[in-house]
Amino acid sequence: MSARPVHRTPLEAARGLESPPLSAEEAQGVLRESLGMAEADHAEAILEAQDHSLTRFANNEIHQNVTARDHALTLRVIVGRRAGVATTHRLDSSALRQLADRALAIARLSPEDPDLPEPAPSVAVPPLEAFEPETAGSTPESRAEAVGSVLHAARKAGLNTAGALSTTSSLLAVANRRGLFVSQPETYSNFTCTVRSQNSSGWVDRHRRDVRALEVASLGRTAIEKAERSRDPQPVEPGRYTVILEPAAVAELVAFLASLGLGAQAELEGRSFMAGRMGQSITGERVTLTDDPFDPRAFGRPFDYEGTPRRRVVLVERGIARAVVHDRRTAKKTGVESTGHACAPPATEGPLPYSLVLSGGDKSLEELIASTERGILVTRFWYCRVVDPKKTVVTGMTRDGTFLIERGKLVRGLRNLRFNESVLEVLRRADGWGRELEPTVFDYAWNCVVAPALRVPEFQFTGVSPF
Amino acid sequence: MDEILDRALNAAQLAGASYADARLVESRSQFLEVKNRQVSALQESGTLGLGVRVLVDGAWGFAASADPSAAEAERCAALAARIARASAKFRLAPVTLSPLAPVVARWETPIEVDPFTVPLADKIALLVEATGLMEREAAVKVAQGNMQFWEDVKRFASTEGARIEQRIVNSGAGLTATAVGEDDLQVRSYPNSFGGQYESSGYELVRRLDLPGHAAETAAMAVALLTAPVCPAGVTTILLDGSQVSLQLHESCGHPTELDRALGHEANYAGTSFLTTDQLGRLRYGSDLVNIVTDATTPRGLGSFGFDDEGVPAQRADLVRKGRFSGYLTSRETAPMVGLASNGTMRAESWAHIPLVRMTNVNLEPGTWKLADLIADTADGIHMITNRSWSIDDKRYNFQFGTEVGYEIKNGKRGRLLKNCTYTGITPEFWNRCDAVCDASDWEIWGTPNCGKGQPSQTMRTAQGASSVRFRDVQVGVGARS
Repeated sequence: MSARPVHRTPLEAARGLESPPLSAEEAQGVLRESLGMAEADHAEAILEAQDHSLTRFANNEIHQNVTARDHALTLRVIVGRRAGVATTHRLDSSALRQLADRALAIARLSPEDPDLPEPAPSVAVPPLEAFEPETAGSTPESRAEAVGSVLHAARKAGLNTAGALSTTSSLLAVANRRGLFVSQPETYSNFTCTVRSQNSSGWVDRHRRDVRALEVASLGRTAIEKAERSRDPQPVEPGRYTVILEPAAVAELVAFLASLGLGAQAELEGRSFMAGRMGQSITGERVTLTDDPFDPRAFGRPFDYEGTPRRRVVLVERGIARAVVHDRRTAKKTGVESTGHACAPPATEGPLPYSLVLSGGDKSLEELIASTERGILVTRFWYCRVVDPKKTVVTGMTRDGTFLIERGKLVRGLRNLRFNESVLEVLRRADGWGRELEPTVFDYAWNCVVAPALRVPEFQFTGVSPF
Repeated sequence: MDEILDRALNAAQLAGASYADARLVESRSQFLEVKNRQVSALQESGTLGLGVRVLVDGAWGFAASADPSAAEAERCAALAARIARASAKFRLAPVTLSPLAPVVARWETPIEVDPFTVPLADKIALLVEATGLMEREAAVKVAQGNMQFWEDVKRFASTEGARIEQRIVNSGAGLTATAVGEDDLQVRSYPNSFGGQYESSGYELVRRLDLPGHAAETAAMAVALLTAPVCPAGVTTILLDGSQVSLQLHESCGHPTELDRALGHEANYAGTSFLTTDQLGRLRYGSDLVNIVTDATTPRGLGSFGFDDEGVPAQRADLVRKGRFSGYLTSRETAPMVGLASNGTMRAESWAHIPLVRMTNVNLEPGTWKLADLIADTADGIHMITNRSWSIDDKRYNFQFGTEVGYEIKNGKRGRLLKNCTYTGITPEFWNRCDAVCDASDWEIWGTPNCGKGQPSQTMRTAQGASSVRFRDVQVGVGARS
């Protein structure tokens, strides 16, 4: 069978064809041909196809506006205990032939790998509704019109806005010589917007499968309101303050836990804060953290990059370390089953959670603010980096809407502050939990954290910016 | 290939483009990682695609495809024009490009040994040997070595008549030892963190680094850090090694001198800049010893090329001269907004991305001190070496950096080893406290292969040249209670 790369073109996509960039049948054809060319004991192939469009604006006008169609085929072949991996972005038959030859050559040159797992067996994957035709059919004109409403509102308010509206339609498919074939079409859309006055800014960011659910104009008004409200920000001295962290700020912190220790490889290497602490209390009793690909807010996928069905994994339960996520390699090493969390090759960090959900509470954001005598509201964090991996200490800045709270009310904007804090200790100290959970996607590779707002006493700020 | 570019440009003009350029880019890469003598990643990747950028009715449109046929080129051009028309409805003023004499040229990275011709078996053997030597330290739980190689063959054509072909080759390699103690984790890297050193070089870089020759020392230092005292808190003098100064330059000079940031084009994502246009030529960025240039012609620099992705020749320009803020990194669109011409810094991650203003090689010019003399001249301070953590606000004022290694300096002599070293400051205050810069014998061009910017996000390979530098009255030992 000859590979049929991509029948539709970017032009057609832009006209509003409301289907994935590649059908499951087309993907299966490409994968079958690729697997058939590999003269190896085992072979596994991953195909990702994507249409991505983004309309970007700054200074109240559209300044960049792009669309790209790409597809990537990764072939992993196994000869004895040796594996070779190669990737191509071309899907014609000659490219597939070259891909197979290259992967095989790499496998033959590689040393034997005693931990090499076999490809996954063929099993049923539960269906997941992740594709919204309206998002796939978004056009340059519809994106521009949606953004235009925010540009107009900001200009009318005498403010300056910048941001982006993006839509992605994609298909992920995995197949192997053991008969496995799984595929998943999905869509993703994001609206992010910063509104600035001369000395303040406000920010909004929303991620949805359905572009209509972004409610762009309404979000724009929220950003405008934040920018207005934070005008003429004043400094406060560094020190410990009660903070109300909005969901995006909480998500930023929680995302660090994933890379610092919620995957089995980090635990096996002793790098994880979970290492040697399974069954023990590592954070507060209110903290339950789950990787849940089936939570409709979490942009989950029903299978991983090895084709293994993804399981819901409770990582931290009421503050107790319960589990890390596995791929087939770490599962084999530790004598358990893969939880379906293999990352895309080369997966140097091993398996990782990608649909984290932090359980919420019963308070609205307004109630959290109203119950705070004196504190600081943080809209978002920025440029967070690890300071001490074992203690989960992270530093970063506040950005785009930091407010002083007095007697339960926002009284004025504040200059941005630097923090140094342990994520696990922040969660332990949290004494107010929001009921509205909001997803934050850190890039369009589906790394998502769904989080509530939190109130945290004694949050440590160590510095202040001049703005 | 020329026909595909021609078809794209012709179709763009027929669709009403006042300007268009097309880039046909073929890239390949090879990534090797060995952990504890086992190959943990060995992957090759190749891609070929076309990106077409057009100006219609004074607005930009861009479309790209992984299927670079002549027919697809025409479709991309038409789609880019349609996107531009949609943008034009929401422009306040038409885009104006700085003038450029179109050139027909070819350029290649000068290399000695093509890294793609070196047998994989040799590369693997080298990393297996080096990680084996690091593994001899029992506390080193992860002994890691890696190599990475890239080749980009770019063909650029514009409706102004430019035709440029470039072959850019980059190489990188390094070691990392991760030592794990009871409640601590320490990392030591060679020759730099986050993968090592990266250059516009061939395999000669890997040979020069001599990874096995530095493996034992790297591992021993990771273990020593486990029991070293923590960097004390306070205000003191610090000496930063060239690789740490390199990242300091990247974050606190490179990014804020990007003119698109200063003009607000990146306000929603990467941020803006404290170096606003009214400060150009006026602001005292640093002390008189601080001279910083952007130089896309620096030998071995990871940000070196012949022409940028708008066809502007590689060049050198002042960013800071004798401490005064003197220039920006610019593009054909942004430069005229402040009365300048482009100094050639527009680069795109791939055919699928538009070019953005990016750092090339941002270099601190060498001073006059020998490192040994500088240590001897320091009564009390900390010598901080190799980045471990970095964070800076969205205007590039407030930063906090951490280093893998620190040494106390007492009475001109290097003393105790310190771990978890951090320092913080406000960019212009910090650079004004620079009172010594080491000379060319200590200077190196350090590659940064992972600079992120733009929406959709793009990763770019940049470099910063630096030698060791001394700063007075710096707050150190910032951190959380544990």
